Amino acid sequence: MIAIVRTFWGRILQIVLVALFVTIGTTVLIRLVPGDPARSILGARASDESVKALNSELGLDLPLFEQLTNAVLNLFRGDLGTSFAFRGQDVISLILPSLSVTAALAAIALTLSAVSGIAVGLALALTKRPELDLAGRLVMTVLLATPGFMAGLVLLYIFAINLGIAPAGGWAGEWPDNAKYLWLPALALTAYLGSLVARAVRQAALETIGESFVQAARTRGVPRRRIVMRHVLPNAILPVIPLLGLNAGALVSGAVIVEAVFTLPGLGSRLVEAMASRDLPVVQGIALLAAVSIVVFNLLADLSNMAADPRLRKTH
Amino acid sequence: MTAAAQVPGLASAQPTTRPKQLELRVGITLIALVVLASIFIPIFNTTDPNALVAAPLEPPSLAHPFGTDTVGRDVFIRVFTAGRLDLTLAVLGVIVPLVFGTILGTVIGASRKKALDVVVMRFTDGLIAFPFIILVLMIVLIVGPEATIPPLPPGAPSVLAATWLVNWTTYARLARLRTHILRQEDFISATGLLGYSRTRVITKHLLPSVWPTTATFAVSDLLSIVALIAALPFLGGGIQPPTAEWGSIMYEGRGVISQAWWISFSTVGVVLLLGTGVMMVVDSLVSTSRRALLP
Repeated sequence: MIAIVRTFWGRILQIVLVALFVTIGTTVLIRLVPGDPARSILGARASDESVKALNSELGLDLPLFEQLTNAVLNLFRGDLGTSFAFRGQDVISLILPSLSVTAALAAIALTLSAVSGIAVGLALALTKRPELDLAGRLVMTVLLATPGFMAGLVLLYIFAINLGIAPAGGWAGEWPDNAKYLWLPALALTAYLGSLVARAVRQAALETIGESFVQAARTRGVPRRRIVMRHVLPNAILPVIPLLGLNAGALVSGAVIVEAVFTLPGLGSRLVEAMASRDLPVVQGIALLAAVSIVVFNLLADLSNMAADPRLRKTH
Repeated sequence: MTAAAQVPGLASAQPTTRPKQLELRVGITLIALVVLASIFIPIFNTTDPNALVAAPLEPPSLAHPFGTDTVGRDVFIRVFTAGRLDLTLAVLGVIVPLVFGTILGTVIGASRKKALDVVVMRFTDGLIAFPFIILVLMIVLIVGPEATIPPLPPGAPSVLAATWLVNWTTYARLARLRTHILRQEDFISATGLLGYSRTRVITKHLLPSVWPTTATFAVSDLLSIVALIAALPFLGGGIQPPTAEWGSIMYEGRGVISQAWWISFSTVGVVLLLGTGVMMVVDSLVSTSRRALLP
């Protein structure tokens, strides 16, 4: 129990640190962006007075240190500021709808990766035909070499354009219709993540099969099915949760790019739009939300890992 | 994908005593195929990658093996000209962080001062939690998409700045971890007993044993950087058109994928050949256990 509590508070502390790091980092980075944000909002023909007025309204004429303290104070109030491009719009209310798209995409991709990865990995470890194992490993190698957006392009062409069983991009805006637009991009992300899981599961399963307790069970005449379900499977899926946790960042980055391929209105397109219009508070908000969600995801991975493996609760 | 994705397997990556020879050979052959094609095809086929050679969106033919693009440029010559640029950028993007990160990680791993170690590790923690692609886009915004350093095309400096600023963290962590393991070994303890200087221990004894670990990761990092550069045009950054670059060719192909699959697919194919080669080389360098059968 103590180990769980310690992990929990350790991660919470990390969330706070990451939020601070990202807020300070983005505020400094934004200061370095060439050009005047107020000028780019108002246009080249705006008068110098109005540009100046807007800069002070947005707090951009303050010294860097004051901007930093303001940003950090606002962060703890849960206030991410207001958008530059959509004047008066709260950043959080602008980002949340896009975040829900990305989160749904990531969740589906995670589930698909875990399920297909465990199934394929276990099957490859258990098959008695080495050529099947070799073929499976070759396919995994190719898939691991495929960036998500390239897998997306291939899937888009096959399933959406040739077979016509999925839309070639876009968004329904309401559930459950959204699922129709999500499964193909999720599959594109699964190509990589699922192969990573399958490889780890195959490896862990092979190691477990070599352990003496499995050999002992065989000697006692325990049926094969029971050995697989009771002894091999629980040990083979142990690396899955930490592996997915470690790849949370890769998943978010991958999702952002795959969204662009499938024109989903997620964080990726919101980010591109905000970058193009120099909407710096929105850029900052997206960076913050993405970074924090990665750490939260890691926390969930830690906790579920401890729930799954009693040994982790005792050590430390 | 990003560098962090590869870390779990490679944190324990030690060069095997007996690399899987076949996998290594096939992998090197695939990489060499793409590299040599990128070097030699633009030499023998002197078509200008930006010249309009035929009607737009012509399917692959003998004259244009990969067809033509939206304005009638030859995709074949564009893909391999792009290969020169993407591979150069990837190598440049790997070498600087590899050298810097390995040396820094070894130094802080060997140092007895905890303060430096804590500062660098917390900093890398923060950077690793930061979604890489967002950081890259912000750096692209700061450096500006038009910034150039001849002879590299516009957009290249921002891509390099982004990878240099971020990627050393993984190498530093790997090198630090490896150094900590090495410090337990007798041959490093012996250097202390012999009274060797810190500099001598690091350069003559630690670095030669740390290199193989970080260099193995660098091979897979090469692929991550190729993927990153190619992803940027989809997010409104990266190498600026009309320069031939894998990502911008694919992005252009995405827009017309229903009429002209060959624009995206020829690029995807070439990148996959390279990527599969890289994965095979990495796999052959990283030890995995033998296959046991369950009867």
